[in-house]
Amino acid sequence: MFYDLNVLWSPKDNDLPRTLAFLDELGYNVVALTHTLSGKPPADLSCPIPTTLPFPVPPKLKVLRRCTLVLDDHKSNHRIAALSPNYDIVALRPTSEITLQQACHSLDCDIISVDLTVRLDYYFKFKMLSVALQRGVRFEICYAPGVVAIDASARANLIGNTTQLLRATRGRGLIISSEARRALGCRGPWDVVNLLTVWGLPQEKGREAIDNEARSVVATAAMKRTSFRGAVDIIYGGERQKPKTATEPGKDKKRKAEDDGSVTKTESQQGLTRNQARKQAKSSAKSSRPQQMLKTSQLPTLEGAQTQTDGKPSC
Amino acid sequence: MVRIKNRYLLVNFLYPTATLKPSDPLSTLPATIQFQQPTDDRLTPQIITRMIRNGVEELFGDYGGGMVNASISVKYFSPATSTAILKIARAHYRLVWAALSYVTRLPKPVDKEVVVRVVRVSGTIRKAEEEAIKRAKVAMLKARKDGDVLGELGLDGGLWGRELEKEEVGGIEDEEANVDEDEEEDEDSDMG
Repeated sequence: MFYDLNVLWSPKDNDLPRTLAFLDELGYNVVALTHTLSGKPPADLSCPIPTTLPFPVPPKLKVLRRCTLVLDDHKSNHRIAALSPNYDIVALRPTSEITLQQACHSLDCDIISVDLTVRLDYYFKFKMLSVALQRGVRFEICYAPGVVAIDASARANLIGNTTQLLRATRGRGLIISSEARRALGCRGPWDVVNLLTVWGLPQEKGREAIDNEARSVVATAAMKRTSFRGAVDIIYGGERQKPKTATEPGKDKKRKAEDDGSVTKTESQQGLTRNQARKQAKSSAKSSRPQQMLKTSQLPTLEGAQTQTDGKPSC
Repeated sequence: MVRIKNRYLLVNFLYPTATLKPSDPLSTLPATIQFQQPTDDRLTPQIITRMIRNGVEELFGDYGGGMVNASISVKYFSPATSTAILKIARAHYRLVWAALSYVTRLPKPVDKEVVVRVVRVSGTIRKAEEEAIKRAKVAMLKARKDGDVLGELGLDGGLWGRELEKEEVGGIEDEEANVDEDEEEDEDSDMG
């Protein structure tokens, strides 16, 4: 699985179908279309990128929607909380050291994407960046501006700043994406890994940056948006089971026998019946029934939690 | 005796930009075919070598040029499939690869926007050849599968009879799965 989490999007872009087809041809599986917000955020924060694109997309390609918010001013309220539900990924682009610090320490985002093609008047500090890395925020390196750059200075800046970023992050928590405006700026995943190897990132880390790290960005971003406090997500909530338990608690045992595996079935059934027998002997049937309901209603959430830990990225 | 260690890069030239007019019937071809269109005949191995040398010198200066110039050569170039095999000393193949990634345009007589993709890095030319053949087969079948537009345009010709298609589809589809696996393994092991 290869990820390119930054393909620039504009409303009247006739080349976009071709760009997506080309990324598919190069072997990418997930692509994020980027809408850039700069200056004062507009009143309407809804995502202008349509959920289903108006042209045929290659069948195996998954398209996400991403917002890049340019941070010019550290004092203004960026309303990220209102912005993030509308997009799959929210990235920040700090333009100065203060805004970078703010982005690293406090702002809730998925990616920090510094423009590496300009000369930065500050150094990346490990202390500052590590705060962001501990929060699960990744740093992005965009190669396309360097590849299609006409002037050599942008290219040199990109290489210089990238090595600085590699030094400061110690090669951890990086993702690589294109930031391509057209298909011409895109390169194959392995070409990109090689490019980063030449710039000083070991090959296996480069591979991780374009694959695992990017995947974890997508996964955690999705978790933030859909799950309960970013910790538990119900992937399969047992939709079939729920209404039955709610409406017909009497048929509970029978249904369980059908659905569960053989071992758990016998155990739980026997346990339940024994418990019930004891409790019925001790107290009235009133108290036993809610307990039984509780047990079954816990099942789906447990199931969901388990699958989530399996699919959870190693971060 | 110790051999001089080389690397053979199997390289694909891809054409991402649309060059055909919308009125041209060929412009309705599936994107895969358009990306992998044949290269202009005016592009020769000599021009490719010069392009790479210039690219390396632009990126890595005299040092890079000095390291690469002596050992680089184009071993095979097929305009029909836009495929080439390059030979470089093992110590410096990454410089050449990086320079190839920075190529956006083929030089003068052709002068066309291009993206160069390295599909295989190999220690022997035989493996690179085998990979090239495999990939050509897969690409052909994929193109045929993508659309029967060729047939409609009358470009199908007698080359690809129906029988051949029936025979080969099953076998090569399996290969297609293998190719991806192979590629990953080899890239990992070769580049280490």
